[in-house]
Amino acid sequence: MRLELEEISYVYSRGTPFEIAALRGVSLAVEAGEVLGVCGGTGSGKSTLAQHTNLLLSPTSGRVLVDGVDAASLEKIRLRQRVGLVFQFPEQALFAPTVEEDVAFAPRQLGLDEEEVRTRVEEALVALGASRLARRSPHNLSGGEKRRVAVAGVLAMNPEVLVLDEPTAGLDPATRETLLDLIRSLRGAGISVVLISHDLDEVAEVADRVCILEQGEVKAVGTPAEVFYGHPEYAPTMVRVVSSLRENYPEIVQPVRYVETVNVLKKLLEG
Amino acid sequence: MGVSRSLGRFYPVDSPLHALDPRAKILAVMSLVLGLFFVRSIPGLVLMAVALLAVVVMSRVPVKAFLKLPRVVLFIVVFTALFQALFSRQGEVLLDWGLLEVHEGGLLMGIFLAFRVLLLVWMAGLLTATTGPVALFDGLEDLLSPLRRLRFPSHEVAMMVTIALRFIPTLQEEAAKITRAQAARGAGFDEGGPIRRARSLLPVLLPLVIGAFRRADELAEAMESRGYRGGIGRTRYRELRFGLRDIAALTVTMLILALGIAL
Repeated sequence: MRLELEEISYVYSRGTPFEIAALRGVSLAVEAGEVLGVCGGTGSGKSTLAQHTNLLLSPTSGRVLVDGVDAASLEKIRLRQRVGLVFQFPEQALFAPTVEEDVAFAPRQLGLDEEEVRTRVEEALVALGASRLARRSPHNLSGGEKRRVAVAGVLAMNPEVLVLDEPTAGLDPATRETLLDLIRSLRGAGISVVLISHDLDEVAEVADRVCILEQGEVKAVGTPAEVFYGHPEYAPTMVRVVSSLRENYPEIVQPVRYVETVNVLKKLLEG
Repeated sequence: MGVSRSLGRFYPVDSPLHALDPRAKILAVMSLVLGLFFVRSIPGLVLMAVALLAVVVMSRVPVKAFLKLPRVVLFIVVFTALFQALFSRQGEVLLDWGLLEVHEGGLLMGIFLAFRVLLLVWMAGLLTATTGPVALFDGLEDLLSPLRRLRFPSHEVAMMVTIALRFIPTLQEEAAKITRAQAARGAGFDEGGPIRRARSLLPVLLPLVIGAFRRADELAEAMESRGYRGGIGRTRYRELRFGLRDIAALTVTMLILALGIAL
């Protein structure tokens, strides 16, 4: 599915002294089956952008298009099924007595029959490596386990686009790896992913394209190499290291991912 | 969510009202809230309303912020008016539906009482709209401090009230956030009958309560780690000063109140 934001602007607390323009005319498309990384500082509008993808926030101006159709004309619940949104710290919204009940919430809201609900819950928990937690209370889990369960709760809707807002903030390395693996396997299955993150290294690792937001505007968008080498202030450490090496060795290419970078450096050292 | 425009939220602008000593404002509002019950005539109430309007204009808080009343308040106001109008049998009969009669006196009384409740709410709202939480706390604590001699925990009470007020917007924001997170999981909040609707609130209320406990814990730890150990021996960064203009403001308030009661 292709998700397109068209000239989206959003103003918080309109007409009060708290008024803030969070987005100023953002146009951005997520192609079918791609991983789009969205970076930017705090207050750049990343989370506001995330909430526009399934119209939890309605833009002050502009449109959201789902496969070319205005998302506002779709039934809300259908839209939210197709565009799965995982909020920042999604574990704060866990509420059911058991993990499986919690993950089953969304599929039940969709009106699926119990058999299908059970399959979805199992699949989602497997995808997050959390099957063994199924019968536990979500409130007694570790931070990483809670995060897995909360993401599974959205994945169980079988969305066509998954939007993750800071999914790895404050996570342990193991859970972080699970989430990055999940993103890769979703892409393999043709599902688009929007990964909003402060962590440039992880964006570099999985993104097909990168978008940088600055004060509610798209500052740059393109392949990770274009964006990161074009905007070193937003680039991960590896890119910055290679950038400064390129001043003396202009012949080396522009790697972004860890393995590529290691190979480039090896080649350089071996002469 | 319109949270920021709701009645009583601190509205940070410069105005003569914002500059007053919080103690003067608390005392004024307290005497007005009590005094309003002794205002028994329509001219008296109108005088109070006009005075309040003038003060609201002075405060530079937009009048709009006062029009958006919380539902509970609206319910109380409407209920008060209806109850009086339907059950008080004074004056001429205006409407007669068999069992129910609306009398002129009852209708007037209903409107009068409802308006009095509205004025109370607006006055309290103006206090919190023009007084930041810290100033409110300092003022409350200072006003309650004479009671310390009677072993009344004035510092603790003031601290609790301030924390409660401070966390209302935070919890509102959190509720909005959780509501949106559940909506992203397909939750609908305004469908079905009252029972279904009440049930649909569970996925929001439970995390909210759990979150409130977590916050309370964190706040307690943060306070302790910064050396908080109650009010004894605590000094203040900002000293309150009860100046001439505070005395003047209080005097004017009392005069208007007295006039309102006398009318």
